[in-house]
Amino acid sequence: MSRGARVLLLGPYVLLLTVFFTVPLILMFLISLSRSSFGQIDWALTPSQYVRFFTDAYYLSVLGDTLWLGVLTTVACLLLGYPLAYHLALTRTRGKPLLIVFILSPLLVGIVIRCYGWMILLADRGLINETLVQHGWLAKPLPLMYNKFGVTVALVHVFLPFMVLSLTGVLKRIEPQLIEASQTLGASPHRAFFEITLPLSLPGILAGSLLVFSLAISSFVVPILVGGFKVHVLPMVVYEQVLSVFDWPFGAANAFVLLVISVVLIAVYIKVTERALRGIV
Amino acid sequence: MILRAAVGVVYAFLLLPMVVVVLAAFNAGNYFTFPPQGFSLRWFANFFQRREFMQALWLSTELAFWTALASTVIGTAASVVLVRGRFRGRDLLNAFVTSPLLLPQILTGVALLQFYTLLKMQASYAALLIGHIVVTTPYVIRTVTATLTHFDLALEEAAQSLGAHPLRAFFEVTLGVIKPGVVAGAIFAFAISFDNFTLSLFLTSAKLTPLPIELFAYLKYSFDPTAAAVSAFAIGVALVLVVGIARFMGLEEFTGF
Repeated sequence: MSRGARVLLLGPYVLLLTVFFTVPLILMFLISLSRSSFGQIDWALTPSQYVRFFTDAYYLSVLGDTLWLGVLTTVACLLLGYPLAYHLALTRTRGKPLLIVFILSPLLVGIVIRCYGWMILLADRGLINETLVQHGWLAKPLPLMYNKFGVTVALVHVFLPFMVLSLTGVLKRIEPQLIEASQTLGASPHRAFFEITLPLSLPGILAGSLLVFSLAISSFVVPILVGGFKVHVLPMVVYEQVLSVFDWPFGAANAFVLLVISVVLIAVYIKVTERALRGIV
Repeated sequence: MILRAAVGVVYAFLLLPMVVVVLAAFNAGNYFTFPPQGFSLRWFANFFQRREFMQALWLSTELAFWTALASTVIGTAASVVLVRGRFRGRDLLNAFVTSPLLLPQILTGVALLQFYTLLKMQASYAALLIGHIVVTTPYVIRTVTATLTHFDLALEEAAQSLGAHPLRAFFEVTLGVIKPGVVAGAIFAFAISFDNFTLSLFLTSAKLTPLPIELFAYLKYSFDPTAAAVSAFAIGVALVLVVGIARFMGLEEFTGF
């Protein structure tokens, strides 16, 4: 392939990405170093926005809550996703394409719709509470929504497919002969799982967890709709500062804190997946 | 046995919100209760009669179409170089072209909004379209790359040695073989754009609202099942698209299993 052909084929997208992705991100970083005066950007190179973020107890607690929700979501996704991925990797059922559709379909259904589904289920007059109260099993509705519980449930639902996809990829590559050999040598299925399958799937566990965590801490539709603005997370602060308060420098600084966390996680994720593929293939 | 039961419960968890939305859309009452209060199409009628929903649906469809078309062309072209080209810096370029996929979309949204505003280009159709193309193209690159890696270069060389021009060899042989990946990528790009919420939120205006944004605005103030009808419709679209991907590429290959 000639140099000219390469430039012609790859050029358009690289140019598009540079102008409409890289440059805007650099601009955002510059804005985060500026000051806001009466809704206008006062260009300067000052770390004051970051100082404001890291010295204010409110924003630090928001950051803490964001990371904590990320941890909860990741652990729950792992616990729910592992059995699913294990089953999917080993099953020989004819219905397998249908199972994959089930796993993929939440990914293709918009996030607003999935949140709405959880709102119908979890609201005070939602399906679960209404049914329980009508049948007299409950005196008053349980607080299932507009709190961390509801947000975590919806977040787990939103990101579970990513965990399952990461785990299935690794579990499928484990040689079945290894398990058979261990069982021939007298290991119980239980022991074979804990001493062979689980350790060999560790790279998938790590990769899936990093992916889900980084997605969960950057989600803001779920906290807004299912959390009803009552659960405060970092992406929501970004959203409010940029679209309601119009304090762009501070919004940009918040966004950049999120970006740094994400980039670190992504870098580790890439290292882990590379090593995982090298170790098994 | 325990595994089976656990797996069943998790599948139910995955599907439950979508099933509930669809049932609520066909339910006659204002609140969805169990058992349902009878079958009705009035929420769908309301959806199709409201001008703002119809305009939003049309905008989303049009936007997704142009996004899919543009990202498929530039994404496929880019994949060919990334898979076949032998040059320094290829790995770096590979990471660069898929980076919008890895960065949280809220950050891309904020950065683009600020960039467009300084250029006085905010809230325009072009701004929205370009934003969508930036985030969907990496998906096309991924699916096309997956099929292109399996492609046997000897086929194209054979065509060339039989006298075909390299371009003709590419369009008639290579493109024919990698068509499943290209079409699956196009469908996926359409689906991502059609459902996109996060990026659109930062790039829309009162006159330019795609369906997910309209639905979000509606849900903030009212809780009636018209929203369920809109959602059920979008779920139907998603299902059709999944079937499309399955037919062209096969889901196992698409997901990388």
